[in-house]
Amino acid sequence: MSKFLECIGVGKIYPGKTEPVEALRGIDFTCDAGDFVCLLGRSGCGKSTLLQMVAGLEKPTSGQIVIANRELDGPSPEAAIVFQDHGLFPWMTVQKNVEFNMKARGVLAAERRATATQFIEMTSLTGFADRYPHELSGGMRQRVGIARALTTRPKALLMDEPFGALDAQTRGKLQDEVLQIWEKQRTTVLFVTHSIDEALLLADRILVFSPRPGRIAADIKVDLPRPRTSQSPGFVALARELRGLVGADREID
Amino acid sequence: MQFRRALGLLPLALLLLAWELAVQAKVYPPVLLPPPAKVLMVFIDDWDTVLGNALASISRVAVGISLAFLFAVPLGLMIGRYRLLDTMTDWSIQIFRSIPPIALIPMALLFLGIGDKPAIALIFLAGTWPLLINTIFGVRGIERTLLKVAKAARASEFLVMKDIILPAALPAIFTGLRLAVGGGWLTVVTAEMIAVKSGLGYMILNAQLTFRSDLIIAGIIVIGAIGLLADQAVRMVRAHVCRWQEGLTASPE
Repeated sequence: MSKFLECIGVGKIYPGKTEPVEALRGIDFTCDAGDFVCLLGRSGCGKSTLLQMVAGLEKPTSGQIVIANRELDGPSPEAAIVFQDHGLFPWMTVQKNVEFNMKARGVLAAERRATATQFIEMTSLTGFADRYPHELSGGMRQRVGIARALTTRPKALLMDEPFGALDAQTRGKLQDEVLQIWEKQRTTVLFVTHSIDEALLLADRILVFSPRPGRIAADIKVDLPRPRTSQSPGFVALARELRGLVGADREID
Repeated sequence: MQFRRALGLLPLALLLLAWELAVQAKVYPPVLLPPPAKVLMVFIDDWDTVLGNALASISRVAVGISLAFLFAVPLGLMIGRYRLLDTMTDWSIQIFRSIPPIALIPMALLFLGIGDKPAIALIFLAGTWPLLINTIFGVRGIERTLLKVAKAARASEFLVMKDIILPAALPAIFTGLRLAVGGGWLTVVTAEMIAVKSGLGYMILNAQLTFRSDLIIAGIIVIGAIGLLADQAVRMVRAHVCRWQEGLTASPE
């Protein structure tokens, strides 16, 4: 597998009101194309900040981020991001929302429509293309967000606690769907979560973050066979190890 | 629902009743306070005077508010989007919006003479400030994630303005439009009493000079009725344009 994403000595310091706040320090890691990597840690440990920087939405104050051999300077065309609060445009129908990233790239209307329809189908949203976001459930809204991210066929899918606001059942269902999509598309996935179970169900590899300043405390390889459940052999032992590393209960926060 | 709506007529019916009783009781001589029936006759005997003047007033407001819309909405979108423009214009907006358009009548007469021009200029000013301020407010209220989605998708500034900033601000723009139309209507009647020789304001002032109190009251009724209709029209357009908002807000606006 080839090296796809590289963070070299990445740090982030916010100006802050009274004194500068160091959100991240010395983040070094590389990740191969096709990896499913979870960034795990309690809130405030900088894992979301790192994702925003990989997405090109924020600039690191030190170090550099390299995607597909190119140093990042603003959002990369190779990556697409999914936000926890969906980021759906309330005045656009599902169809128009899914088409947006393609529209931003100047894809022609007919092609946009066809591609959007394809991903609407893939994310089980068929029949809802003409609905507005507020008419959908939380899980469906997040499916729209995922469909929109996939339309440009990104090499990297960046997911910022995408299922954090969903109930357990919907969450489990969407986790399965994301795994299916990942297996089908073979994209690299960077997935921010504060749930140990979620990380263990999804990831090939888990980067555990510790807070103040945020840094990588451990880099855990997850070799459990797929499909996994929380009853899979080895799951419980790994969960215990991770719990020790993040220093909290199963659901941190 | 239909019946509930009819309740809105109750205060008007009571006012009409009080008016008729006051006439019967001879509170004022009939030459000052004509009975409702006589005022009704104005709409039959002098319909051409009333209609002609009403159309003159309406077209001035239509032109003045349209110009204000074309000026204030794009400007407001820019000010709302770009911090520097906001810093530059903030004080000026606060100063100029505090000046009642009526206070500018003398200056409008000096520079523009008697006629449509000063009236339209004043309506333009009356409409510009509420439109500008509400447009800026609408842009400010945009959800930050939506702008991040656009940035991550590398959308052009033009697309961001057209597909995100403008639709996000539309509900607020319509609030501004309602205020502008109301303010423009107040201004036209006043301006016509001084600066023009046609329109409803001119008509009722002239009616006072010729002791046509029936025409004065008829004029006032028409002014009020058009004010109501104009507001309803803006609300209907808003409900259509912003139909994606249905079910999002707590109460229908």
